Amino acid sequence: MPTVVVMDVSLSMTRPVAVEGSEEYQRKHLAAHGLTMLFEHMATNYKLEFTALVVFSSLWELMVPFTRDYNTLQEALSNMDDYDKTCLESALLGVCNIVQQEWGAAIPCQVVLVTDGCLGIGRGSLRHSLATHSQRSESNRFPLPFPFPSKLYVMCMANLEELQSTDSLDCLERLIDLNNGEGQIFTIDGPLCLKNVQSMFGKLIDLAYTPFHAVLKCGHLTSDVQVFPRPEPFIIDEEIDPIPKAINTDLEIVGFVDIADISSPPVLSRHLVLPIALNREGDEVGPGITDDTEDENSANQIAGKIPNFCVLLHGSLKVEGMVALVQLGPEWYGMLYSQADSKKKSNLMMSLFEPGPEPLPWLGKMAQLGPISDAKENPYGEDDNKSPFPLQPKNKRSYAQNVTVWIKPSGLQTDVQKILRNARKLPEKTQTFYKELNRLRKAALAFGFLELLKGVADMLERECTLLPDTAHPDAAFQLTHAAQQLKVASTGASEYAAYDHNIAPLQTDFSSSGAERM
Amino acid sequence: MKIFSESHKTVFVVDHCPYMAESCRQHVEFDMLVKNRTQGIIPLAPISKSLWTCSVESSMEYCRIMYDIFPFKKLVNFIVSDSGAHVLNSWTQEDQNLQELMAALAAVGPPNPRADPECCSILHGLVAAVEALCKITEYQHEARTTLMENAERVGNRGRIICITNAKSDSHVRMLEDCVQETIHEHNKLAANSDHLMQIQKCELVLIHTYPVGEDSLVSDRPKKELSPVLTSEVHSVRAGRHLATKLNLLVQQHFDLASTTITNIPMKEEQHANTSANYDVELLHHKEAHVDFLKSGDNHVGGNSREGTFKETVTLKWCTPRTNSVELHYCTGAYRISPVDVNSRPSSCLTNFLLNGRSVLLEQPRKSGSKVISHMLSSHGGEIFLHVLSSSRSILEDPPSISEGCGGRVTDYRITDFGEFMRENRLTPFLEPRYKIDGSLEIPLERAKDQLEKHTRYWPMIISQTTIFNMQAVVPLASVIVKEAMTDEDVLNCQKTIYNLVDMERKNDPLPISTVGTRGKGPKRDEQYRIMWNELETLVRAHINNSDKHQRVLECLMACRSKPPEEEERKKRGRKREDKEDKSEKLGKDYEDKPWQESERLKGLLDREKEELAEAEVIKDSPDSPEPPNKKPLITMDEMPTVEKAKGPMSLLSLWSNRINTANSRKHQEFIGRLNSVNNKAELYQHLKEENGMETTENGKAGRQ
Repeated sequence: MPTVVVMDVSLSMTRPVAVEGSEEYQRKHLAAHGLTMLFEHMATNYKLEFTALVVFSSLWELMVPFTRDYNTLQEALSNMDDYDKTCLESALLGVCNIVQQEWGAAIPCQVVLVTDGCLGIGRGSLRHSLATHSQRSESNRFPLPFPFPSKLYVMCMANLEELQSTDSLDCLERLIDLNNGEGQIFTIDGPLCLKNVQSMFGKLIDLAYTPFHAVLKCGHLTSDVQVFPRPEPFIIDEEIDPIPKAINTDLEIVGFVDIADISSPPVLSRHLVLPIALNREGDEVGPGITDDTEDENSANQIAGKIPNFCVLLHGSLKVEGMVALVQLGPEWYGMLYSQADSKKKSNLMMSLFEPGPEPLPWLGKMAQLGPISDAKENPYGEDDNKSPFPLQPKNKRSYAQNVTVWIKPSGLQTDVQKILRNARKLPEKTQTFYKELNRLRKAALAFGFLELLKGVADMLERECTLLPDTAHPDAAFQLTHAAQQLKVASTGASEYAAYDHNIAPLQTDFSSSGAERM
Repeated sequence: MKIFSESHKTVFVVDHCPYMAESCRQHVEFDMLVKNRTQGIIPLAPISKSLWTCSVESSMEYCRIMYDIFPFKKLVNFIVSDSGAHVLNSWTQEDQNLQELMAALAAVGPPNPRADPECCSILHGLVAAVEALCKITEYQHEARTTLMENAERVGNRGRIICITNAKSDSHVRMLEDCVQETIHEHNKLAANSDHLMQIQKCELVLIHTYPVGEDSLVSDRPKKELSPVLTSEVHSVRAGRHLATKLNLLVQQHFDLASTTITNIPMKEEQHANTSANYDVELLHHKEAHVDFLKSGDNHVGGNSREGTFKETVTLKWCTPRTNSVELHYCTGAYRISPVDVNSRPSSCLTNFLLNGRSVLLEQPRKSGSKVISHMLSSHGGEIFLHVLSSSRSILEDPPSISEGCGGRVTDYRITDFGEFMRENRLTPFLEPRYKIDGSLEIPLERAKDQLEKHTRYWPMIISQTTIFNMQAVVPLASVIVKEAMTDEDVLNCQKTIYNLVDMERKNDPLPISTVGTRGKGPKRDEQYRIMWNELETLVRAHINNSDKHQRVLECLMACRSKPPEEEERKKRGRKREDKEDKSEKLGKDYEDKPWQESERLKGLLDREKEELAEAEVIKDSPDSPEPPNKKPLITMDEMPTVEKAKGPMSLLSLWSNRINTANSRKHQEFIGRLNSVNNKAELYQHLKEENGMETTENGKAGRQ
């Protein structure tokens, strides 16, 4: 998930910090030091993360648009000027715009706000924003909660005592509350110095920027992988099950399904699955960058030549057009597949389904999926021309079962017309005629619309009188019979108006089985 | 997200008193005369529905939409009230479908206008509705059972939709009071019962309906809290289509639905089959499908009228599907749909098209700019879903290709074999419960994992790591040995395979190992067979604990490979075969520690070394691995001390290091840069500097980016 660093460049950030030693530091230097550490960490361990840099005082400016080039971000840090007062609201509004323009409203973002805890004065100060929060209209809505899923991390270039001496901490906590509690405030432990700033940013890195390492398993075939971006914990139902669920570090493949069968399923998130080589110290070699580029290159080359299960799996998934179903935790599943970024580049991807025993109705309950070898006969057919998927639901949906809806007159008219059309083609259309007649009869009975039955009966009788001389004699018999049956049903008397009863065609001497009559 | 919100339980209470038999005074022409038969015939008089018919068909439409979009976990209890309450169904999932309700309604029939109005009342129904809300649903029961001590987290909320004809505002108040009192009483009862649940929250929706043209005696009232448990709202609606419209709005409100209109659907004209016109179809679905529009407040969405909050619909354009190719779209949500006008021709054309298995992409109409595909309509097993496709920039763009990462330079993965493996390990649903021998329930998914475990006990990933999997002759054995249980026939086939191999050895048939690894002469034939037999033994040993029959296959294998007279002769020639076999046997025994992987990896590395020498001959089976950069062997075969040349007892390690050393020392010579380097650092692109000083620095910059 992309990161926006929002850096306070108001005058208060230039307040000096007493440090033993020769050089004099300002708070902004401490901030820049901390951010440098963050950027260096990301460049090494989290280098696919997109990061943008915004600076603000009473105005805000996008210094660096979303990028993976941490050198540019680093350079921008050293090119920051000092401006006037802190005006957080407009900066947060700016963040909203920047993120939505780039990523839309669905992609989660992390906002790292770096400030000294002086929240400005007068209009536009955080105090003022919070005080007027309840009197806002839709048009000047406070930017929090952010319109996209988010985490707001506030990095204070101040220690707890300093913040508590004013109401700054309370205001910042309100800010997190306004973001639906998504986020955290970090303060400097002890005196303001480079070391303590480092430890504060270290905590942020541990919380939000540690790479997610896992083991991908398919029976005995395994591979160490990094999953990027990190899968975030998920809350299934805040009432029944309020504890967030995190995915296992063992990603266990349970079986395979054709892409046509899985059929573009809805997913919570997508992640790259990057194979990594763990050396003895447990440091990764692979997507990371070590200090010594030469070492890294040779290490990468060796790693590139050792067969890796991810590459095998990816190749076969791509060639076969299949996905691997993977278990992420108790009753939580996902799928692995080959994703092509361009014609040349492609990658192993993992998508997470919503947690639960049955994330995709067309696959059914995941626990009920078993190996085809347990089935009596191969459900995919001998020539691979069948599939056990999708599962059919027990009840058909209204659009798949020819329901009767007469709310609009046209619905009723169409149904009556169908009967009439078939009535004029008797006896050829006897079957359809009675089918439509019975459908109408059932609906009329259910809706208590007995008048309609009488009306249609009258209509059929009239049709009988209008039959041309050339008409088949059976037509008249059937029409009279149908009309009479509808009439008795329209009385509502239980013996004739039973819902399950169907009007059957009259057996006449003209119909095929006529000879058997009497 | 909450499962047990108010919309988990909906009780319909429909008035069945004599006055509901009254006409709604809205006429329906049902005798539409067809052209050319009209002469001289007077159409039959139009008919009109009763208040009852209007109420019932509107509430059925409410249920239809609800069941289409939420077939599970959203339940309806239908109650009809006259001289008593008639409960038409229960909360059980089997009772939750239109057919059941229609049949039950038919059994009730229309209200009897001649019944005594004094004994009839909607109150009976309302009391029964409260009772019904206290009853536990199977979902609530299941949740309470699984949560055990946290069972109190399971909420009990519900909604009562009451369609009646009230006499006045004070009559309405009387109904509300009655509901409140009944809830109070029943909550006391429920407190002492295991089978009932107290109502935490109840939404009462009172709909007063009256014939068109009459004045309403009851006034509308927005939602109001009558007590912490009960809220109530009053809607005064004319019967006929007005009532249907109201219930359609309510179902959208109650279940957080939104509307999408698919526009520009090309359709053959009914009358003129060779022309086609464009139609629109309106669908309802959960509003999450519009989450992108809602949050970003995008105004580009067409047909979005601000006034009349519920007339809003998002218009999306049909994109005629060009191919039938199956693609895996990045889809962030899929929501069941229900057509607003289910029986209309455009609706049924669209739904039938989808039910036949085609998918349709939907495009956001934009005044300018590029085409944005934001949704897809697709059916899965007779259910149509609106898929939300991600249309924003991907945070995963431009990822490193898999060929750049670990294992990316290996070119001889057994891609085809693993594809076969995947097809064998495909999944299928087992809907009937199965039991293990000990009587416990068997979980099919655990069986699937079990099978993967068995099938991968010995599975070399690359072609040059294996001999037996490159041999057609081994297939009959390899395919059955991984089974949990073998038949006698399977054992026989395995034995035949082994005899066949023995036969091949006697005939001195070549093995695939020689052609993969080296150019020209490979390892000697008997060495090849030794490697093959060892590998086969590893495979079989990995499965001997499956059953006695597996054991029998091993016995056969051991008997065959140690006996042949030729072998004996060769042993006399001084080969230390026995030692090696013992060693490999030991390794094979505890396959679970994956010793084969170690030894195979070593062998694999050795083999790959060879393979680098003869890359032109490698089977390129990995589509993502790059072409080998240099097909010319670095060193020629003659200079290589090969395995077969080594005489006497030589350890694998010394073989390996000898070889690596030789190979490396030769490779080193080629780095001119390293020869000319200062402190192990060589300047790159020196020639460019000489040719054009300026460009060098620019290139340098570009390289760093």
